[in-house]
Amino acid sequence: MKRTKAFVAIGMASVMAFSLVGCGSSADTASTTTSTESATTGAETTAEASAEASATSSSDMNIMLETPVESLDPQQATDGTSFEVIADYTDGLMQMDADGQAIPAIAESYDLSEDGMTYTFHLREDANWSNGTPVTAADFVFAWQRAVDPEVASEYSYMLSDIGQIKNAAEIIAGEKDKSELGVTAVDEKTLQVELNVPVSYFLSLMYFPTFYPVNEEFFNSCGDTFATSPETVLANGAFVLDSYEPAATAFHLTKNADYYDADKVQLAGLNYQVIQDSQQALMSYQTGALDTTLVNGEQVDQVKDDPEFQAIGAGYLWYVTPNIAGVEELANLNIRMALTMAINRESITEDVLKDGSTPTYTAVPPQFAAGPDGSDFSKDQTAFADVCAFDADKAVEYWNAGLAELGITELTLDMVVDADDAPQKVAQVLKEQWETTLPGLTITLTIEPKKQRVQDLQDGNFELGLTRWGPDYADPMTYLGMWITNNSNNYGFWSNADYDAMIDECTTGALCTDAEGRWAKMFEAEKIVMDEAVIFPLYTQCNAEMMSSKVTGVEFHPCALNRVYKNAVKVD
Amino acid sequence: MKKYIGKRVLTSLFTLLVILLVLFILMQLMPGSPFNDEKLNADQKAALYAKYGLDQPIVVQFFKYVGNMLKGDLGVSYNISKNTPISQLIQTRLPISIKIGGFAVSIGAVVGLLLGLVAALKHDTIWDSLATVISVIGVSVPSYVFALALSYTFGFKLGWFPMLFSQQDIFGSSVLPSISLSMFTMASIARFTRSEMLEVLGSDYMLLAESKGISGAALIFRHALRNALIPIITVLAPLIVDLMTGSLVVEKIFSIPGVGSLLVNAIQSNDYNVVISLSFIYSAMYIIIMLVVDILYGIIDPRIRLAKKGD
Repeated sequence: MKRTKAFVAIGMASVMAFSLVGCGSSADTASTTTSTESATTGAETTAEASAEASATSSSDMNIMLETPVESLDPQQATDGTSFEVIADYTDGLMQMDADGQAIPAIAESYDLSEDGMTYTFHLREDANWSNGTPVTAADFVFAWQRAVDPEVASEYSYMLSDIGQIKNAAEIIAGEKDKSELGVTAVDEKTLQVELNVPVSYFLSLMYFPTFYPVNEEFFNSCGDTFATSPETVLANGAFVLDSYEPAATAFHLTKNADYYDADKVQLAGLNYQVIQDSQQALMSYQTGALDTTLVNGEQVDQVKDDPEFQAIGAGYLWYVTPNIAGVEELANLNIRMALTMAINRESITEDVLKDGSTPTYTAVPPQFAAGPDGSDFSKDQTAFADVCAFDADKAVEYWNAGLAELGITELTLDMVVDADDAPQKVAQVLKEQWETTLPGLTITLTIEPKKQRVQDLQDGNFELGLTRWGPDYADPMTYLGMWITNNSNNYGFWSNADYDAMIDECTTGALCTDAEGRWAKMFEAEKIVMDEAVIFPLYTQCNAEMMSSKVTGVEFHPCALNRVYKNAVKVD
Repeated sequence: MKKYIGKRVLTSLFTLLVILLVLFILMQLMPGSPFNDEKLNADQKAALYAKYGLDQPIVVQFFKYVGNMLKGDLGVSYNISKNTPISQLIQTRLPISIKIGGFAVSIGAVVGLLLGLVAALKHDTIWDSLATVISVIGVSVPSYVFALALSYTFGFKLGWFPMLFSQQDIFGSSVLPSISLSMFTMASIARFTRSEMLEVLGSDYMLLAESKGISGAALIFRHALRNALIPIITVLAPLIVDLMTGSLVVEKIFSIPGVGSLLVNAIQSNDYNVVISLSFIYSAMYIIIMLVVDILYGIIDPRIRLAKKGD
């Protein structure tokens, strides 16, 4: 008897582990224990099923993601990762070709009225959802009404109002009109008519932006609150079909959609996504062959830069410093701002610090995302404003001394708010060093804070200098230039210039709407004002350093809307 | 005993309520809000605040939240998995975290106990020194360093175990994370076992037992180890909690779809509901573990139980 007791005691410590942890779980999830078990088995079965499916074909592409998907609801999603995955299995009216131009997808053709304010899209007869029902004009009407519905509170609703200029969108978002009054109508099952307030030259390129993707109303209603949270609660009409997924999943899988109208062109058997938040693990997984593509961080670049599979992909983001022009007396002085922007050695930031392929930028609109009426890049000429922002220590000091004299001071301390992330902190350190070395009497302090707080401080005007970034939402320079009009929420420095506002007005809602060349020229003039007045100090256009297996070709990269498109990708084994 | 347990359970419940309140206040103090994105303007932010009821007074929010929680509704995620009920997020994740945590504690406790025993019994030999060295390393090196080192050696170089968690091979892919997590537990248990055992072995009653002719396994296990176990159980409880915090980073490294990696992502994006719910669950687990330990004490050491009765 005593012996048994002793053994019980010995076993206690080791058994305790199980019993204790067991207790913790049963108490917390008591009500959900059974469903938890079934859910886990369910997840395992689908995962196994997908593993089997992928085992039959060896040409699944294995893709690394840095962050989990935030939402698969096309009208709720806001981040690049979610957009990429939604677009894997959903087609909009238009899709992107390799150069980012809009080409037909669900809409096989369209008519534009003479005044440029009414689009009529004709939908393909053979476009179907994965449950067999046809994709109809009503699906677009339902989705677009959701996008502007104040109850849905879609973060990208402004794509329909300010950017897309769809009739009544702004009024519906503001709660002044009912969503049924949105300027989009299903003329018949396969004809969609869209009315705009003004002609919008880039309207077709918005049609591949996921906020404009269709949602089937009947299916949506059948899902209740669970829409787009599992393979069962999403419908596909695109190149792939989601077959394993759970909210915030770290791994999920899509299979080629055999019923896709363009299925002949899709060569990959499926897409196998893996979220890896640790960069070392990601690179090692790539090196063992478990991934076909992965992101590489700045420190790893040295290690892999000579590898032929290494590439720098333009991410579209312009990083810039925004001076608080209205809130800080010293920064209201143009000479001081000129001195600051001309004291920045942008080459040194990209070459010595970032080393990920990011390119120094000397324009307020970054290059390589917006092509003009003649097909040329809006910001191709990076020397256009070199005289007002390129590194020139002597000129910077000249401006600096002039500015100090005007202000009647000899020294100045400025604070810069910076995201607590790796790259921005490094960039900020270099900026501080460059500024303090070049400009006598200048002291820079850095306030490093979480990104969410940094954004709030900028929007509240609670800063002196801010290091921030902006990614293009659509393929038009206005996605940048529109920010610096008076009272725009992203005009952090509260800079205001009536001439500039008038020019932007003319290009967005005014006479130049229908004159592509004139509009293009006017936008260039507007950009010149931003640069001449040093409203922002552009730094660099971000690149993502990536590894891409030599077995894979045809992945299309875009700086806006959809960053990666796999529809035309091929993997050879 | 029953009265004692009842009292302890009540205290625990009260503590949990206080924790909820503190968490709620901390969330209000957290810099930024869930909706501080460059792309959002003031009107949109206001719309989102209204949608999630964040525009109401804090007191109202709190009572609403507690009310919903009592009904089992933890709210929805604001941004890491937009509009997904948190109960749904946790449902599949908690079992995975518990499984890996369970493996880790088991490995840590068993190996640590053995290591400590060997060190004590082979006192002042090479075995003792070896065990000490292992313990020192285990205690001082953080679990994520082990995670990266193990992953590099056994995952990347040798290819014995998967480097990332996989639903198809849950057991195999749990090996490396479990070992990384178990190191601290193992080392602490080993050190404690060693010192407790040495103390017990040197005590008078052990001398008496030995002189009465009890020897070998019976002497060690029945007389020595049992007495040494009580303090060990005391340290094991906080170790399990350390393990939960350690798992935050380790889960991220191995891409484990557990609650730890979820919490890290939620904190980084100010996802209030997720942070509160998960922190609350962690606190609840901690309190329950402490409660169980107290009760176990009574079972192992009758003096504690009897003393309470005497009150």
